[in-house]
Amino acid sequence: MPQVRILADQVRLVAVETDSFKTGRISVSAALPMDEKMAANSLLIYLLKRSCKEYPDFSLLNGKLDELYGASLSASITKIGESQVLSLSLTCLDDRFALTDESIAQQCAELLAGMVFSPNCKNGSFGADNLTAEKRLLIQRIEEELNDKRTYAFNKCIEYMCANEAFGKDKYGSIEEIQNVKMADVYAAWKNMLSTAVFQITVVGSAVDKVAEIFTKKFAKIERNPVKPETVFVQKGRHFNRYEETYPVNQGKLVIGFRAGMQSSRDNIHAMTVMNDIFGMGTYSKLFMNVREKLSLAYYCWSRLVASKGIVLVEGGIDTDKEKKVSAEILSQLSDLRNGKTDPEVLDSSKRSLKERYTFTTPEGICAWYASQVLEEEIITPENVIEGVEGVTMEQVCDAAKKLSIDTIFMLKAQEEAENED
Amino acid sequence: MKIKQLTNEKLGETVFCAEHPSGLEIRVMPKKGYTSAYAVFGVKYGSIDTAVQNDAGEFETIPEGTAHFLEHKLFESEDLNAFERFAKTGASANAYTSFEKTAYLFKGSENIGESLEILLDFVQNPYFTQQTVEKEQGIIGQEIRMYQDLPDWQVMFNLLKALYASHPVRIDIAGTQESIAEIDADLLYRLYKNFYNPANMVLCVVGAIEPQEVFDIVDRCIKTADGKKIERKFEKESARPVRDYIEEKLSVACKQFLLGYKEDISEPLLSLEDELASQIMLEAIAGKSSPLFKKLLDEELIDLGFGTELFNGFGFSCVMMGGTSADPEKTASVLREEIKRMQKEGIDPAAFERAKRKIYGRMVMGYNDIDDTANLMMNLHFNGYEPFAELEACKNITLEKAQERLDALKENASALSVISPIE
Repeated sequence: MPQVRILADQVRLVAVETDSFKTGRISVSAALPMDEKMAANSLLIYLLKRSCKEYPDFSLLNGKLDELYGASLSASITKIGESQVLSLSLTCLDDRFALTDESIAQQCAELLAGMVFSPNCKNGSFGADNLTAEKRLLIQRIEEELNDKRTYAFNKCIEYMCANEAFGKDKYGSIEEIQNVKMADVYAAWKNMLSTAVFQITVVGSAVDKVAEIFTKKFAKIERNPVKPETVFVQKGRHFNRYEETYPVNQGKLVIGFRAGMQSSRDNIHAMTVMNDIFGMGTYSKLFMNVREKLSLAYYCWSRLVASKGIVLVEGGIDTDKEKKVSAEILSQLSDLRNGKTDPEVLDSSKRSLKERYTFTTPEGICAWYASQVLEEEIITPENVIEGVEGVTMEQVCDAAKKLSIDTIFMLKAQEEAENED
Repeated sequence: MKIKQLTNEKLGETVFCAEHPSGLEIRVMPKKGYTSAYAVFGVKYGSIDTAVQNDAGEFETIPEGTAHFLEHKLFESEDLNAFERFAKTGASANAYTSFEKTAYLFKGSENIGESLEILLDFVQNPYFTQQTVEKEQGIIGQEIRMYQDLPDWQVMFNLLKALYASHPVRIDIAGTQESIAEIDADLLYRLYKNFYNPANMVLCVVGAIEPQEVFDIVDRCIKTADGKKIERKFEKESARPVRDYIEEKLSVACKQFLLGYKEDISEPLLSLEDELASQIMLEAIAGKSSPLFKKLLDEELIDLGFGTELFNGFGFSCVMMGGTSADPEKTASVLREEIKRMQKEGIDPAAFERAKRKIYGRMVMGYNDIDDTANLMMNLHFNGYEPFAELEACKNITLEKAQERLDALKENASALSVISPIE
């Protein structure tokens, strides 16, 4: 069980102390509601990553990271339920491997805290050039989502499916919103984050007390008024909705979105996890065995459970003219799953395989597992999941499958003439 | 089997090495405090192996994409397929094919010995029928289509086509729809027999396992074979690229580019020192803390995804640099000019030290990961190096050596590959 400490109101430290690894990882996550401030929040996290008061320039900051034996710094923005979660993470070499007597971990924790609390900001300005540069990079990042058609189609299906829910928004905010962000908005976003976000600092490695001390001191100076983001769980899919777009590509992408009938992110979670795995995750799953292996219709066709929003998405890369055939096969497999037409051995395979997947072997894996729980009241360990999954019966799997209701289909079609092009 | 132990004190890791009488090389690194193990069983047969020696000793051309096709097909068997067998141990199994090798692997925390037996067994027991080969043509056909739509992939292969006239590194790893249509069960059996013999293979296991257990399983499961190491034929390429510009239009939002410098090599493989010196040099001149990176970013020519790499293997070596850019030609011209300037003025010693620290740190960090470590040991073996050789080599890289690698970049050996949006 990791250590859990409360450092301030809605600021939690979750730490796994270990010397099994050669690196340590520290991650700071700030969860905010998905509202009109999303674009400013997104720009904020990239500005915080760009430089800080102590290293007020992109090259200086990256030079410092290189000196810290190639410590790697990353910023990320994710949707966890209907919350925009901003994170800054550092992976660094463990102190044991330093070429001189120095604590890399402590320097990294100080650097990270400095980036969050003491940014490169004067009189409410992060620098006009910096903001312009980050706007350009962020807009390009969003535009580039089109380059990977698999992810694009996946996000598009969510956008249509959750058009009337906050979850349907892009995690960065829209391009138009980003263009309209002013310096004062970013400054306000920074102040707002420090005061209202739900924070979690996740640590894997050593120097846990030091990290706790550094962040406790910083938060002591902040007046906290935390706001906990809430997520709407839609129980049932609407009647059939299908959308399509056509691109000059070689392979079509089919995405089918289902509502999972969950009331919260942990509602019926173990049965849902096993059901989703048997439906389309493992190599023993119905989609792999049938859509790919038996019918040769796809190289990949799998299902994904997004528990934080209570939805399941099935996606496949297919020939455009086979859409009906593939959809029919996916639904027929779901029907078999609901009706108990599953080899009992597959249930055992799934449990064994899930056990492996919840056995994390890297600091990044462990850190991500706990960081994703930033909004949960109670921290659960991978062992808790393994135990829960172990007790799931075939009947519960069938019941979980029966809860799935189809909501939206998105088809990215390949233009026919593209096939003959060089 | 004679077992040799190699220890790196600073790292605190030990590898147990042995050569089985069949010629199979084995590397085991037990890791304290780990609950999982990762095993990779690799064969020196990749997409660049486009010819096979017949009984008369002559090289005979084979269809493109056979190594990858075999990788897919080996999972099949007359009875339970490999995935079904691994499902009983819980291990997650996979495989991949690269330019120079094919690797079969699994990761698991329970029944590791049993999973290892399955791994060794399925790779040693091919089973192909015309029907299963045809089924796979459909699946791999979809895989090829998927890659054809990925701009990152296309920009690289187009660059390789611009740089290399005949070296098979220029062809797609999975082949083409047409080339895989030529593959049948007989051909697969013939190629299997040629390449898949223990003398041409290596087994690397890292994590929660005792070395002796691995050696015992190998003794029990490896069939002795009379196969021998496969020698590749080195054909020197022209120092110049085929052309200096290549462009393809794809369904993308922004332009992407890759600038490549082809190296004029006289030996098929670079030394480890040369490889590391190039990596350090690239980091020093164009890494995120370099003035060049800042200049390109400030001029809005690149984004944070800009990166560089040394791309090398048997008979090929080039440096690649690229990413997304609104103006690839201007970016390439700035890069070419800056490289010329730094060749004249020399690498900044402080930047060199920083880069060396970073590369060294990242290599040590890599030993965290049982997957990365096993794959690293396999690659080192296939290139003729002992475990940990890269750490020692890194320590010895000097500024002069890095400068020498920078000076080896010749402008008349460079080419630019661009992916641009379909209007």
